[in-house]
Amino acid sequence: MGSMATAYLTGFGAYLPGDPVDNDGIAARLGGDDPVTERIRRRVLDANGIRLRHYALDDDGEPTELNEQLAVKALQAALDDRGIEASDLRMLACATTMGDVLVPGFASMVHGRLGGGPMQLLSAAGVCASSLAALDAAVSKVRLGDHPRVAVVGSELSSRSLRQRRFDGIRAGMDSHFLRWMLSDGAGAVVVEFQPHPSRPSLRVDWVRQVSLAHEHEVCMRAGMSGAEPSTGHTWQDVDIADAEAAGMFVLRQDVSMLDELADAGLAQFEELVDIGLVDVTKLDHVICHYSTNMFRDLAFDGLRRRIPTLDTDRWFSNLETRGNTGSASIFIALEEAWRTGRFAPGDTVLLAVPESGRFSFAFAHLTVVAPPDQPSPQQQGALT
Amino acid sequence: MTTDTTIAADAPLTGTDTLADRLAEVWVELEERLAEVPILQRLAAGTVTLHDYERLLFNLRQQVVDGSPWISRAASNFDIDHFTLRAAAIHHAEEEHRDYLMLERDYVAIGGSLAELRSGRKNLGSEALSGYMFHYADQPNPVGLLGAMFIIEGLGAKRAAGWAARFQEVLGLADSQVHFMRYHQEADSAHTGDLEAILTSGIIDDAAADEIVRCAQVVARLYALQLEELDR
Repeated sequence: MGSMATAYLTGFGAYLPGDPVDNDGIAARLGGDDPVTERIRRRVLDANGIRLRHYALDDDGEPTELNEQLAVKALQAALDDRGIEASDLRMLACATTMGDVLVPGFASMVHGRLGGGPMQLLSAAGVCASSLAALDAAVSKVRLGDHPRVAVVGSELSSRSLRQRRFDGIRAGMDSHFLRWMLSDGAGAVVVEFQPHPSRPSLRVDWVRQVSLAHEHEVCMRAGMSGAEPSTGHTWQDVDIADAEAAGMFVLRQDVSMLDELADAGLAQFEELVDIGLVDVTKLDHVICHYSTNMFRDLAFDGLRRRIPTLDTDRWFSNLETRGNTGSASIFIALEEAWRTGRFAPGDTVLLAVPESGRFSFAFAHLTVVAPPDQPSPQQQGALT
Repeated sequence: MTTDTTIAADAPLTGTDTLADRLAEVWVELEERLAEVPILQRLAAGTVTLHDYERLLFNLRQQVVDGSPWISRAASNFDIDHFTLRAAAIHHAEEEHRDYLMLERDYVAIGGSLAELRSGRKNLGSEALSGYMFHYADQPNPVGLLGAMFIIEGLGAKRAAGWAARFQEVLGLADSQVHFMRYHQEADSAHTGDLEAILTSGIIDDAAADEIVRCAQVVARLYALQLEELDR
């Protein structure tokens, strides 16, 4: 086994399209202002606790940008934050739930728009945890010494599929309303390098870990099929498009009855991180957890506090309430805000946690704040490399 | 090859000194000079920067691309009476002529631009070293070049891996970012073994031995100069 390099997060960027939209401004963009839908929306919003979000939709609900544009703007912000150009990148790892087009891959479109030079691409598909799958790939290539600089972006433009026209004539229960009034648009990006930032602190990536429990769980979040089980000849690609639409296959759905199980499984994964020593609860300073609604914030927070009695709200960060649930972009949008607002000090450790309901995936990353090379912090001396 | 430092650098050369003793003495002088080279001092002190490593690779590359050509040229100038040396030189040139590609990949892996690397020019020391090598290789039966091999392969076998390990330690580099220096430990150890076999085979007479030692002295000085004159 040879020596590996170390991966550092050295630049952070986020892009949230348009002005923030408060709870009263949602219906103008997404529609659904009939009394029944109105009542459901209020109920869902009360539960998820989101007060502000962004949509790449104008006041009439028409799209203002492409998903790939959101990604590029977040990437550009991260590159600017680091003070480098797209031409300095050797790899781009992109995560999204749904790109703008079916083919080619999302990363190809983002690279084409971003520019720069020749580079390796990864389009990480999935849902929320694809963000950390993309980060893992980037970190691994940097550690191998294959690439000196990689950018990672998580980007979502789900709003266009949440508009009323998708729901007209479709049976839409809580399985679709829950997501409809929860998801919104945005992108977050980080720059990964094999050297720390020369003049300011960086986040060293200690490890990234992703676990799927799809072998023992049914599908929870889905689109493109009827019901929770795909059957041969009956997915959206098999039947007529009009039939697929009429069957509600283009509506994003989530089996809300499985969410408690998801929370339990996520906490069990966290417990395992502690049990196998990847997380030292006596040295964990910050937790940035992606969750879809405040209901799960309380569950997760209480669950973590069982293992970390000293965990308090100061060490827990989420911007769900003000930035919305942006799926695979969420963790990077939260990390960017936590970083920019000065929550971290050299020596601090940070746990990123991203549960994904899709079919029960859980991703975590452990980071350590390191001082710039000319101001080594005492904690760095014993650092894993 | 011995690096026995018990041989004093200023020990008088006598007729009883073997070629190996005389080369060992040149090596000791080279070691002393290398200890004064700024980038190697920073490497030893742990204050070396990524920029230092990048510039070292950049500077080395401009001379390393000439390595196989001067060995090939030397091969073509050995007559049939020096068949063993011609065969060794041909073999060696073939083995080395892709080495610079490894160095180029290292340079790119730490963020350097291949186009810039390839458009670079030799530094003052590299100009002198390369010029001397080609000049020497042009001579009929350039046996003295075994002295150049002794220095250059010796640096690869005895020093490059240590430099690589230290760059890795200080800068946190992956193996794939220090290929060139790591590879040379193995490759050049094999080469120095081959060289030793030739030097002790009995085909080197006293006049050839004098040439070999002189060439080793010049190449040792010019190699150090190449490291001293980075980017000049």
